[in-house]
Amino acid sequence: MERAEREKAAGLSFPEEVASRLGGETIKLCYQCGTCASSCPVAKITPNFNPRELIKLSLLGERDEVISGDAIWLCCSCYNCQERCPQKVEIAEVIYALRNIAFEEGRIPPIYSEFASALLRDGRIIKVSKFVEKKRSTLGLPPLKPTGVEALTRILSATGFNKLYERRERK
Amino acid sequence: MKRYALFLGCTIPARQPNYELSARKALTKLGIELVDLAETTCCAPPPVRSIDLETSLAVAAYNICLAEEAGLDLVTLCSGCFESLSVANNMLKGDEHLKNRINRVLSEVGKEFLGSRSVKHYLQVLVEDVGIERLKRNVSRSLSGLRAAAFYGCHALRPSGLLGLDDPERPRILDDLIEALGAESVEYRNKLKCCGGLLRGYSDELALDLAREKIINASRAGADCIVTLCPFCFVALDMGQLQMRSRYKETYDMPILHYSELLCLALGADPKELAVQTHKVKIDKVLDKVL
Amino acid sequence: MENVKVGVFLSDCGGQLPKILDFDAIMGYVKGIPGVVLVERSSEFWRGEGIKKILDAVKRGKVNRVVVAESVPKLGEINIAQAVEEAGLNPYLVEVVDLKNGCAWPHRETPREATEKAKAMLLAAVERVKLLEPIEKIEFPVLQSALVIGGGIAGMQAAMDLAELGFEVYLIEKEPFLGGIAARAGTFFPTDDCAICIQSSTSDVKTVTPTSRKCVYRSGISEVPNLKILTNAKVVKVEGVPGNYRVTVEKRPRYVDESKCVGCNLCIEACPVEVPDDYNAGLKTRKAVYINVPNVYPPVPVIDEDACKFHECARCVEVCPSDAINLDQKAELVSLNVGSIIVAVGFREFNPSVIKEYHYDDYPDVITHLELARMIDGFGPTGGMILRPSDRKPAKKIVMIQCVGSRDRRYNPYCSSICCMISLKHAILIKEAHPEIDVTICYIDIRTTGREHEKYYERARELGVKFVKGRPTEVFMDPETKRLIVDVEDALLNRFLELEADLVVLASAFVPAEDAGEIAEILGLELGEDGFFKEYNAKLRPTETKVKGVFICGGAVFPKDAPTSSLHAHSAAIKAAKFLLNGKIVKDQRTAVVKEEYCGDCEFCPVICPYNAISLVQTGNGHFVARVSELLCEGCGVCVGTCPLNAIELKNWRQDQMLTQIRALLSVKASKPLVLAICCSECGHAAVDSSGMAMLQYPASVRVMKVPCTGIIQVQHFLEAFKAGAQGVMVVGCKSDGCHYEVGSQIAGRKVELAKILLKEYGVEPERLEMLNVVYIEGARFAEAARRMVERLEKMGPLRLIESV
Repeated sequence: MERAEREKAAGLSFPEEVASRLGGETIKLCYQCGTCASSCPVAKITPNFNPRELIKLSLLGERDEVISGDAIWLCCSCYNCQERCPQKVEIAEVIYALRNIAFEEGRIPPIYSEFASALLRDGRIIKVSKFVEKKRSTLGLPPLKPTGVEALTRILSATGFNKLYERRERK
Repeated sequence: MKRYALFLGCTIPARQPNYELSARKALTKLGIELVDLAETTCCAPPPVRSIDLETSLAVAAYNICLAEEAGLDLVTLCSGCFESLSVANNMLKGDEHLKNRINRVLSEVGKEFLGSRSVKHYLQVLVEDVGIERLKRNVSRSLSGLRAAAFYGCHALRPSGLLGLDDPERPRILDDLIEALGAESVEYRNKLKCCGGLLRGYSDELALDLAREKIINASRAGADCIVTLCPFCFVALDMGQLQMRSRYKETYDMPILHYSELLCLALGADPKELAVQTHKVKIDKVLDKVL
Repeated sequence: MENVKVGVFLSDCGGQLPKILDFDAIMGYVKGIPGVVLVERSSEFWRGEGIKKILDAVKRGKVNRVVVAESVPKLGEINIAQAVEEAGLNPYLVEVVDLKNGCAWPHRETPREATEKAKAMLLAAVERVKLLEPIEKIEFPVLQSALVIGGGIAGMQAAMDLAELGFEVYLIEKEPFLGGIAARAGTFFPTDDCAICIQSSTSDVKTVTPTSRKCVYRSGISEVPNLKILTNAKVVKVEGVPGNYRVTVEKRPRYVDESKCVGCNLCIEACPVEVPDDYNAGLKTRKAVYINVPNVYPPVPVIDEDACKFHECARCVEVCPSDAINLDQKAELVSLNVGSIIVAVGFREFNPSVIKEYHYDDYPDVITHLELARMIDGFGPTGGMILRPSDRKPAKKIVMIQCVGSRDRRYNPYCSSICCMISLKHAILIKEAHPEIDVTICYIDIRTTGREHEKYYERARELGVKFVKGRPTEVFMDPETKRLIVDVEDALLNRFLELEADLVVLASAFVPAEDAGEIAEILGLELGEDGFFKEYNAKLRPTETKVKGVFICGGAVFPKDAPTSSLHAHSAAIKAAKFLLNGKIVKDQRTAVVKEEYCGDCEFCPVICPYNAISLVQTGNGHFVARVSELLCEGCGVCVGTCPLNAIELKNWRQDQMLTQIRALLSVKASKPLVLAICCSECGHAAVDSSGMAMLQYPASVRVMKVPCTGIIQVQHFLEAFKAGAQGVMVVGCKSDGCHYEVGSQIAGRKVELAKILLKEYGVEPERLEMLNVVYIEGARFAEAARRMVERLEKMGPLRLIESV
C-alpha cells in the first residue's frame, strides 16, 4: 500500500494517480463517446461492467467505488475497446493499472492469488501434474525442461511483487 | 530449415499435451525445427499483468532474453504467450526509458534485454516460412466438404499496434490457412469477439455466456467445427460446452479443433496419433467427414 | 567620420520625475558625456512646445543625433521620428529612453539608486546614438493584378471583390467547373438557399438589387470586367517576389472550345460511352463528354480523357453544330504576372474506408454526407429520392454517425466544425420531404454554435429525428437478414442498441485539399499540424501568411460553413487590395547585411530565417555566400544570433553598437549586484514596461537593454556583460510559441541553456543566467524574477571570472 499512500499524501487526484502509473497514462483523454461500451462483449451481458462508466467514475475521483468494486475484475481483456477508441485511450491497460492499485491495497480475487502462488512456487501459473508429465513420454513428447523459477523469484522480489503478494496473504 | 525456440508456456504442458503433439508433428513435417529452451517461465499473461504491469513486462522480457542468448526467434502455440511476449518485446523496443527500467530489474538475474529477436505465433510461421502454396502441396488428405468456423480469439490480433499479426478488423490468416487445407471457412456473427476465457475462475457465468454465443452463432452458420489457435479459447469453447450443458440445460455438440490438429489430418496423420480423445466434445463428426 | 553632435532632451513628465530622480545631478552628468552638445529639459518632448525645441535644434544644425527621455515611449518614438524626418534628420539617428516606467517608478523606493540608473540609461543611449547610422527606404513596384487559386465559394467571392475594386484578377479552378465542395452540398445552412447561389456582380447594373443573389451560372461572374476564369487549370510554378509574381498555370484540355460552344448538349446525347458518375457518388452514370449538373459555370461540357475513345469514335465532333469540339487540344502553359495571390483551395471529405469497422469500403449502403447530399439535390442522380445504393429501393431507416475520422486521434484530432450542422440539415430535408423515413443521429456532442444554428437542432427534434448519445462501435451486416445494423450504446439510457438501417450515413471529417501540400510548397507557405494552411496570426492576421502578398481564405484554412467562408474571403480580398493599392511597397532598410568576406558555405541563416529572406548565391570563386532580400527581411536579427562566423549583421545592431551599449549600462555602479536584462522589443520589453507602469519594485541595479528580438543574442554577449561588471544576466523574450519573429525566443532559450553549460565549465554558477518568457501582462513576473535574481546574486557573492573567458 506504500505507493498508493504516497500518492494520496502527495495530493494526487485519482485520475492523476492512475495517469501516473504504467498503463494508466491515457485515462484523461476520454471524452465518453461510448465506443468502448458498445465494443465490449461483457458490458452487453451484464450491467455490472461498462468500460465507459468505469473510466467516468475514475475521472470523477470515485476511488473507493472503483478500487473496491467488482467491475475492474470483469474486463475480459479482449482489447476491442482499446482497438477502436477514437481518443487512443488504452482502456485495457488503464484497467490493468486500476487492478494493480487494487492489488496494492490487498483487494484481490481468490483466483488471482492462486495464479500468483503457483507462479511463485513453480514458475508457471498452472501446475503441471506428475500424471501429465508421465503422459508426455507415452505421447512421444520430449521431457519438459526445468523452469527458471529461481530467476523468477529474484525478478519478482526486484519488482516488489513478492512483498505485494505476502501482504495480501497476511490479510 | 528454419529453427525456432518453442515457447510452451503453462496451459499447454499442464492441460493440452495433445495440442503440443499435433503442433510439433505438423511443424516438423513442414521443415520447421523446434528447440526447447531451459529455464523459461510463465509468459506473464493478463492475470500477472493484473497484479503488476511492471512485473509482467520484466518476466516476459526475461524469457525473450533466453531466446536472444540462444540466437533464436520465439514461436508460440498460445495466443496468451504470443501477446505477452510480443507486447513486451515491441514496447521495450520502442521505448528506451521503459527498456532501461526493465533492464535494471533484469540485471538482478544477469540478463539484459536487447530487442534483437522477434516473437511469432505458429500461424505466422506457417504463412511466412512455409507459405500457403507449399502448404497446399503438402496436403495429402484434402478436407474439402468440411465447413470450419475460424475463431481468432483476442490476443493473436489485439492490441494490433503491438502485435501486427493481421488486420484486427478483417483478419484472414486463419481463414486462409483453413482454406489451404481444402476446407471451407464459414462466416458467422461476432466471429472476432472474445471467448470469455479470461473470466473463467472469476465469473464462470459470464465466461460461459460469451462462449455459448460463439457456439450458437457458428452452428447457425452451418459450421461442422470451430477451429482455434489458442489453448485458452480451446478450453473455453470445448470444456465450456460441458459446463453449458449443465448450466443452460441445452445440448451443445460443436467439435472444437486446434488448427494444428486440422493441419495434421490434412497432412495425412492418423487421428489415433493425435490423442484427440482428450477433447471434451467428441470430434468424430469431423473425422467422419474428412477421413 | 562626420562630427557627431548629440542633443539630449530630458522630459521631467510634468515635474513628476524630479520627485524621485535628482534631475540636476542627471543633467550635470549628461552634459559631461563626450559628444553631447546640448541638454534641454522640459515637461514633455513628444508634442507641442517640447518637440519644437528638438526640431529647432535639428534644423539649425546644432545637433545631428538626438536622445529623448520620454515617458510615452512608443507614441513618443513615432511622433519624434516623423518630426525629425521632416526636419531633415534620418529618423534612425534618434534614441528614446523611458526614465519613468523604466526607472523612476519601479525604483521609487530607492531614489538615489534610481538616479544612478538613469545616468547609466542616458549614457548608454548617448553612446549608442553616436554609433548609429542613417537607414534609407527603398520602393518596390507592385503589379495591379491578383491570382485567386480555387473556384469555390471563397475563391469566387474574393475574386469578384478584387475585380470590382479595379484589379486585374485571374481565378483558376482545378476542376472543369466552378463551385467547389459547396456546389455538391445541395443547400446551405443557415440560409436554406441553393449551394450554387452567390452574390452577383455589382457591376451588372440591372441586377444590383437586394435580391441580387444568383446561381453561379446566372451571377454574371464571367462578365465582371477584369476577371478572367480558368477552369481545369492548376498552378505549377510561382517565381518572383511579393508584388511581382510570375505564375505558371497548366491549363488541361477541355476538348470543347468555350468560345464556340453553344450549349446545345448534342455531343452529350451522341456520346456512346457511359461511366460511373463520381460527382454524383456513383449513383448514376454519365457520358464521356459531360456537364456535372445543368446549372454550372462554365456551361460548356468537358471530355473525360480516361473514358473518351477520341478519334476512334468522334461522334461528338460529327454532331456539334458550332465546330466547338477539338479532340486534339493539348495542355497549355499560361504565364501570369500578378502582384498578389489568394489561396482558396478549400477542403475535401475524408475517405472513411480506413475506419474498417464502419465498412464504407465494402457495404454499398454505407455512404457519406456528400453522397447523401447528391441524393437530396433535385438535380442529383436520384431526383431527390433517398435510395439504397445496393438495390436502389427507397430507404426507410437512416442512421447517421457523427465524428467519423474527426475528433479521432487516430486520424484527425480536430472537430471538423460543420458536420453536426450538415447532419441536422440533411435530417430535416429528408423528414420534410419524406416524413415516413426514420432518421437517427448517433452523436458524441451536438455542436451548433453559429447564429441560427440551434434552430436546426430544434427543428430536427420537432420533426421526430431521433438522437442517440453514443459513438457506434461498428456497422455490421446481419449474416441472416443481410440488413445493416449499427451497434451503439445510448449512454443516456445506459442501454445497448442495435439500430437496423437501410442507409448508414457517415459524417466524415473534412480534411485539407489533396493538393494543399503541393501548393504550399510552390508558394513557400506553411501548413499547420492538421494540414490546413497556417495563418500569420489567427487572432489579428487571419488571412495573411508569412509570405508577403500571399493570402489564404475559406476552407483552405480550416473547414468552414458557407457564411464563414464568405466572410473570410472578403477579409482576404481587402488585405490583398490593401497590399496592391499603392502600386508599391515602401520599406525601411533596417535589414541584415552579409559580410561576404567572412561568410562561407554553411546554410544556418537561410534555414533559420523565418521569412525566407536569405538565399545562398555562388560567388566568382565558387563559394556560396548568403544574400539578404531587401524586400523580405524583417530585421529581427535571428540570423545574426545563428551565424557561427559573425558574418551577418543587423543594421544599427552591429557587435560594436551592442557591446558599447552593454558596457555603458554597466559602467555606472550600484550598491546591489549589477544585472543586465536583455529584452526583446515585443513582449519582453512590454512586460518590463508594464511592471514599471504598475510601480512594481525591483532593484535599480537591474539594467535593461532592448534588442529587436532575443534571437539576435549571442553567447558572447553574456560573457561580455560579465566582463563589464554584470553579476547576472537575464534574457526576457516572448513565450516560445508566441515569438513575434516566430523562432527567436526559442533560439534564445537554447542559447541560454548552452551558455549555462559553458559557464559551468568556467566555474561560474549557471544560476547567474536566466531566460524569462513573458507576455505584456506579466510585468509582475518580470519584477519578481529580477528581485530574485539580485537576491540570489547577493547570496552567491561576487562573480569570479577566470582570465581565459
